[in-house]
Amino acid sequence: MAESYSGESTSERVDESVLNDRTLKWIGVAISSLFTLGIFALVGYIIATKVNFELLQTIFPRFVDAYLLVLRIFLMGSVLSVVAGVFVGFGRVSSTFPTGAVARGYVEFFRGTPLLFQIIVIYFGIPALWSGTFPIQDWEIPAAIIALTLNHAAYVGEAIRGGIGAVPEGQMEAARSLGMSYTQGMREVVLPQAWRNALAAIGNDQVILIKDTSLLTVIAVPEIISVFRSVNSATFDPWTPIVLTAVAYLGITLPLGFVVRYLEDRSDWGGDSQ
Amino acid sequence: MSLLEFDGVDKYYGETHVLKDIDLDIEAQEVCVVIGPSGSGKSTLLRCANRLEEIQNGEIRLDGQSLSAPNADINYLRQQVGMVFQSFNLFPHKTALENITLAPTKVRGVKKKQAQQRAHDLLADVGLDAQADSYPNQLSGGQQQRVAIARALAMDPKVMLFDEVTSALDPELVGEVLGVMRDLAEGGMTMMVVTHEMDFAREVGDRIILMADGHIVEDAPPEKFFNDPDSERAKTFLSKML
Ligand SMILES: Nc1ncnc2c1ncn2[C@@H]1O[C@H](COP(=O)(O)OP(=O)(O)OP(=O)(O)O)[C@@H](O)[C@H]1O
Ligand SMILES: [Mg+2]
Repeated sequence: MAESYSGESTSERVDESVLNDRTLKWIGVAISSLFTLGIFALVGYIIATKVNFELLQTIFPRFVDAYLLVLRIFLMGSVLSVVAGVFVGFGRVSSTFPTGAVARGYVEFFRGTPLLFQIIVIYFGIPALWSGTFPIQDWEIPAAIIALTLNHAAYVGEAIRGGIGAVPEGQMEAARSLGMSYTQGMREVVLPQAWRNALAAIGNDQVILIKDTSLLTVIAVPEIISVFRSVNSATFDPWTPIVLTAVAYLGITLPLGFVVRYLEDRSDWGGDSQ
Repeated sequence: MSLLEFDGVDKYYGETHVLKDIDLDIEAQEVCVVIGPSGSGKSTLLRCANRLEEIQNGEIRLDGQSLSAPNADINYLRQQVGMVFQSFNLFPHKTALENITLAPTKVRGVKKKQAQQRAHDLLADVGLDAQADSYPNQLSGGQQQRVAIARALAMDPKVMLFDEVTSALDPELVGEVLGVMRDLAEGGMTMMVVTHEMDFAREVGDRIILMADGHIVEDAPPEKFFNDPDSERAKTFLSKML
């Protein structure tokens, strides 16, 4: 009955009673309970002793502004990077000469250099290409969206490529054998499955996109970390803005998790019973 | 003129010569069973007949129209050649009913209502009307394969191609699929069937073809094929099979 997990040597299976399923289960329950208790205690202690509620009220509107700004940047970057990523993914699976190579080069560049570097290139580099004054006011926001889009399109593109690759060849063959064109087979048969296959990876990437907005502090976008730094340097109080920072990020990442799970459930297609 | 004609067909995969100068005429309503050892070119023969593979020499004609000509309207011609695969290849994101209505609505422009009506009739024919709204992974292998047959029939093909359609099934599910194929044959469908089911070949086939090394080495009605074949290859093949 009880499986031994001390699987090195069968001659030494003396202690089946110690590391069996039940013991492991209870060790897990004990550790995770202790961990949860510890976290609650720590957070309770911090809120009770380190958080200044007057300051919290004062800075709250600034965090709301930052939250809304990050939300807007995320929504723009998310839609644009998924749309662009679909094209990158198509390019990656294309067998025609320049298309595949260009898509490959794109992905190698944007995954092979730090996002911070790409933000710097776009924010500082592009305006410097103009001989006169750069025509776009408040360039940091468009630059931020462009950098996040270009960077995450590479990751979304790879997710889509993987999703297409995981659709069995027989699917397209079946579509073609029914008289569907290549385009119809792609649109009606391959892509819906590729999308489902890629959804988890795209969801992960979009969570990272949210967190990547914190890098925008280096180009003076008044996002969440920027507000934290400004409050902290003015008041020398770390914990009050830290609490709001955590709430602001989770206020975007957690709802995104629900959206991704909803999309996954919607393409469950009768469950994975086989 | 026969319904489906292979005329001097050569097929190469790179250097490998897989079909060698195949001449074969299949008459309307004929059930032609193709047997032969692994790698002899049976699947390739079927796949060339709806141009999932290109041929290098010769011509394949359906009802007098070339399937293999470079300018053939391949999407149109494929509608007239139904194909059923060993691995079913149902569309997992569509219900049984949607699997069947997809091609008629998208390719033929049939109205949705009308396509659904027809799909229900076809599902009833293969004994699965109760499963119309099930997704493929809620169906057994035998049920999936019957839906795949109904899906191919929905395009009103002139010929149906079956490539080892029971080989991936648990033994107890083979019978229900062969039963549907038998009904089709009795209804007058022209069929090419690659199979290892010798009882089916004997009872349903009008004609048995034995392939070996890319050649057709024996072509005879079942009676003669199983009892008195001409070729040595057929004799040795049968002695191993039976
Ligand atoms: N896509 C391919 N590329 C290269 N060679 C192939 C390809 N498909 C088949 N072949 C080769 O062509 C020959 C005929 O293959 P085919 O699948 O038609 O045989 P078969 O008679 O259907 O065999 P089986 O009973 O195993 O299904 C084999 O030698 C096989 O290795
Ligand atoms: Mg085969």
